Amino acid sequence: MSGTKQGFRAVAGREIVRMQSRPLYGLSMIFAPLFCFVFFITLMKEGLPESLPAGVVDEDNTSVSRSILRNLDSYQQTEIIRQYSNFAEAREALQNNEIYGFLYIPKGTQEKASNQEQPKISIYTNGAYIVPSSLLYRDMKTMATMASAAVGREVLLAKGAGMDQAMGFLQPIKMDMRPLGNPWLNYSVYLSNTILPAVLSLMILMVTCFSIHTELKDGTAMEWLSMSGGNILKAVSAKLFPQTMVFSLMAVIYLVLLYGLMGFPLQNGFWPMFAAAELLILASQGFAVFITSAIPSLRWSLSLCTLWGVLSIPICGFSFPVMGMPAPLQALSYMFPLRYYFLIYVDQALNGVPLVYSAWYYVAMVVITILPLVDISLLRKTAHEYTYLP
Amino acid sequence: MWVKNLLDVCGQELKRTLSDEGVLVFFIIVPLLYPLLYAYLYSREVVHEVPVVVVDECRSATSREFLRKSDATPDLKIISYCPDMEEARNLLRRHKAYGVIHIPAEFERTLTEGRQATVNLYCDMSGMLYYKALLSGCTIVSLDMNRDIQMQRLSGLSDWEMEAMTMPIENEYVTMFNPTNGFQAFLIPAVLILVLQQTLVLGVAMLAGTEHERRRSGAIILGQEYGNPMVVLAGKGLAYLLVYGFTATIVLCFVPWLFHMPQLWQLPTLVAFIVPFLLASIFFAICISFFVRDRESCFLLFVFMSVPLIFMSGISWPTSNIPAFWKVFAQIFPSTHGVNGFALINTTGALLQDVRNESIALWIQTGVYFMLSLFIYERLYRSDKMPGAEFMMAMRARVRKDLRVAVREIKEAGEDLKKKTEKLHNRRKQDPS
Repeated sequence: MSGTKQGFRAVAGREIVRMQSRPLYGLSMIFAPLFCFVFFITLMKEGLPESLPAGVVDEDNTSVSRSILRNLDSYQQTEIIRQYSNFAEAREALQNNEIYGFLYIPKGTQEKASNQEQPKISIYTNGAYIVPSSLLYRDMKTMATMASAAVGREVLLAKGAGMDQAMGFLQPIKMDMRPLGNPWLNYSVYLSNTILPAVLSLMILMVTCFSIHTELKDGTAMEWLSMSGGNILKAVSAKLFPQTMVFSLMAVIYLVLLYGLMGFPLQNGFWPMFAAAELLILASQGFAVFITSAIPSLRWSLSLCTLWGVLSIPICGFSFPVMGMPAPLQALSYMFPLRYYFLIYVDQALNGVPLVYSAWYYVAMVVITILPLVDISLLRKTAHEYTYLP
Repeated sequence: MWVKNLLDVCGQELKRTLSDEGVLVFFIIVPLLYPLLYAYLYSREVVHEVPVVVVDECRSATSREFLRKSDATPDLKIISYCPDMEEARNLLRRHKAYGVIHIPAEFERTLTEGRQATVNLYCDMSGMLYYKALLSGCTIVSLDMNRDIQMQRLSGLSDWEMEAMTMPIENEYVTMFNPTNGFQAFLIPAVLILVLQQTLVLGVAMLAGTEHERRRSGAIILGQEYGNPMVVLAGKGLAYLLVYGFTATIVLCFVPWLFHMPQLWQLPTLVAFIVPFLLASIFFAICISFFVRDRESCFLLFVFMSVPLIFMSGISWPTSNIPAFWKVFAQIFPSTHGVNGFALINTTGALLQDVRNESIALWIQTGVYFMLSLFIYERLYRSDKMPGAEFMMAMRARVRKDLRVAVREIKEAGEDLKKKTEKLHNRRKQDPS
């Protein structure tokens, strides 16, 4: 590296050489995000889990109970893999993960039904696995209600009531559920849209912090600074620029995967989401620089960046809503770039509301991007005085 | 004696671990902090009082009753009554509400005519839990009101309706092992196990990275790594097992207790399951640590894996629906079996025979990773290409140099002695008295 070259391009060029010199950068900037993209896209390609293993305990063993079971098997998401002879056996199967739920039809169901004693059939699911549990519940519940209604409907029809009248009596008020934006309740839409950028953001936070701190650790910080004419802002932005480019490429890849290949909802077109992804990259870099400048120890700043990246996944509120979290965490959630990305995604990709409603989220990401202006002078000081402590 | 050697190695490794602040953070602080943070995050288990808006085009006594009852459920909270859908949509857009209950104008009339009336629910799909809350809240209300309406119609009515009314089969729902169907009880066991494995990998990799750096910078450390590899690996494994015995006890027992989560495990089962899990994780970590070149790179290489790993375990997306390739790939990681086994033991009260498959898999992993580390150890550390060889050569050179110096010194001392005796002889000759 010639010591005479100076300026933005020289520093950026130097960074490209540094990035090529260690496989670590390739692994963490390209391999890791790509691996996760491919993993999540292929893992949930079904959209909604189908044929979940379930069981039945049919102690009644009559025509009524058998017709219930036949019905249940015809549901797409439930697959009856076994009949258990009693409750204890089925419970055991639940405990060793053979099935996620079972339907229990007690002895005398048909007899009670014909004696008008209102028999009760029970649905059991394993709450330790919440997704298959609630999906199975939905199928079994619908089936049980339908079976019940079918019995009633037949009686009413036999007595000469019209279909309209029969349903009007059996279920006077009916719910018509209309999920906005994701009518198929596709699970991958709901998870991949946030997890892919989350992994990218995590890697950005760590790589940014690591690459700046290794300059200090390896004792090349002064060379880096002097190449940028002693301007720390220029030094940092030139250094991070090639990384921004690589991460942008990754962002385009996941956008194409999600909205091109998988055809997930993208109401307002490509550009609002592309802008959000770019801002997520910049905001993650900004936040990492902010932390790196504030904490002069490699290990501690890297730990904090890692914590931030990992924590951003639950705290952005895509799986468990922010409004359900304790108040201090609700406040903290505003410090996570991913939180704003998620809100933009909901508005722009899922619900397709006018851009102006999301304007503040874009602004917030810009603010996080320029956050390092507050403390970047500390980094300059650190570069001059640094000694590496393991 | 190999037992003594093993204990020596174990002791040295313990000292090395406990004196390294960075490693201690991984081994003790992170495993405690993360689960606490996660458990705190999900401490309310389910979402209550999801804000919804109402468009009531019917404005009748029945529609108002429906809305009043919806508002009274723990799931929903009506924050506004809108004159039309456009305004309701506006509130959704501004994230003031997450659902709309729309009651059409003909609602009451349809009911009085004895036909089926519809309530429309629109739900924001940014989170599955809003959907769940809206659906379950309104379903409870509609079931309740349907019963009332049927009762009203039945009073003094024909017996065929009565018959139809009592004929249907009732049903009940029990979510076993997670009574509130909450997020915490389902996700935290997985997080606990994953944290144990990941911190082990990070900590052991950091130790290896540090050693690598020191060796590269020329500092010679007296490592135990050149003894009998089997004893060395077993000794290191024992040291980590001791540390993690402590960590795992706190993480797996204390955290769930603190947050009042289901804890149905029985001690013998838990111990018999967690020991192979820890051993598998330890040797897995040692295997990986051979490829780490410096102290901090472990962050960049392993942390991101936590995200796919939690999904590979099947705690969220069901195992039965994971594509075959990923199912096989997941076998590499102890966490896959650890998460399932622990979730079943902790949350459903499974016994060791219920998690037989998982625990056998963990023992196999322990064996495989032990043999693999043994193999890599032999290959890497004993081959001429590795830094270990440089160290050996340096040691040998030093010993040779020391020997040469010693020989020279002995020679010099011998010559010195000779001179002195000669001097003494000469003096005696000169002075015969």
